[in-house]
Amino acid sequence: MMDKLDSLAGLVHTPLFGILLTLASYRFALWVYGRSNSLPLFHPFLVASIPVIIVLPLVGVDYEEYRDQTTLISFLLGPATVALAWPLYRQLHTVRSVLTPILIATVLGAFISAAIAVGLAWWLGAPAEVVGSLAPKSITTPIAVEVVQSTGGFVSLAAGAVAITGIVGALAAGPIFRLLKVTDHRIKGFALGLVAHAIGTARAFEYGEKAGAFAGLALGLCGLVTAMALPWLWPWVAQYL
Amino acid sequence: MIDGLLILLFFQFLGEVVIRLTGIPLPASVVGMVLLLLALLLNVPFSQRVAPAAGALIKHISLLIFPLGVGIVLQWHRYEDYALALGVAVVLGTLLSLVLVTLMLKKLLGGKHGESAGGRHDG
Repeated sequence: MMDKLDSLAGLVHTPLFGILLTLASYRFALWVYGRSNSLPLFHPFLVASIPVIIVLPLVGVDYEEYRDQTTLISFLLGPATVALAWPLYRQLHTVRSVLTPILIATVLGAFISAAIAVGLAWWLGAPAEVVGSLAPKSITTPIAVEVVQSTGGFVSLAAGAVAITGIVGALAAGPIFRLLKVTDHRIKGFALGLVAHAIGTARAFEYGEKAGAFAGLALGLCGLVTAMALPWLWPWVAQYL
Repeated sequence: MIDGLLILLFFQFLGEVVIRLTGIPLPASVVGMVLLLLALLLNVPFSQRVAPAAGALIKHISLLIFPLGVGIVLQWHRYEDYALALGVAVVLGTLLSLVLVTLMLKKLLGGKHGESAGGRHDG
């Protein structure tokens, strides 16, 4: 009898358990998100984390083991990053007429977002690895977790910082656009996609198709520009940290 | 779906090959993304078949990411000393970026093509 109980308890140390827990938590989060009418505060990233954070300590699985259990899921981040070429390709057509200012805006905007995050964290005394984790916080997560390896940051911290950035950006966008008297939907969309990546893009679609398309474009371009620039620039930045 | 997955993995692999040959410090998947974008823009045969798989992966990107994010809470002892710096950089930094980026866009895009007015209603 004890043998059977032991082998049952051992189940929590298999990939099957980790993946089942992950998928079930995500399914639950999708349901909550739908129920909340897609409120940024109830974004699946946050809600799906809660059951996992509660269950893992209860069954005695630590975070390293859980990461090993779910390598099958994180492996898909690679192809998901490659996949971003598709929406980027689709949206490049819609903005051909303003392509030059958009490219300039992307480079400047990507620089502003990264520099502010790095500057603030450094000023408040965070160590180099923490500062490095925040540098890619405005870009879409699959790219951010790749880039953070070249800045010597923590993957977990980067993923969390990216998610919170998206949520804060999506929540603050309405008031900020009112304050700055922005009426142009292209600007609303582009700013949201640039600063708040995928979560901001979802918010932008609430302003309409055009805002959504500009947000999707900004998300893709900003991720691309940051991923291309940061690995080269970072060694130079890091010597001042 | 299988075609799309095949295309995505192929381009990721291609990115890996390019990085190993050239030694450039970029993530392989980002290089793969650029190569796929070029293939699409050049109308390479079959490249459009990436759509279903690409759409599915992007739609459920949160599922792929949040297992990494839970590490923040489960390994909080690593980060608690810098909680203030983190909070300020992430929350205040995001608000600041959003304001600056919006102002910059107003300068760059504002008034162009006669669409600056919000009178148009799309949505």
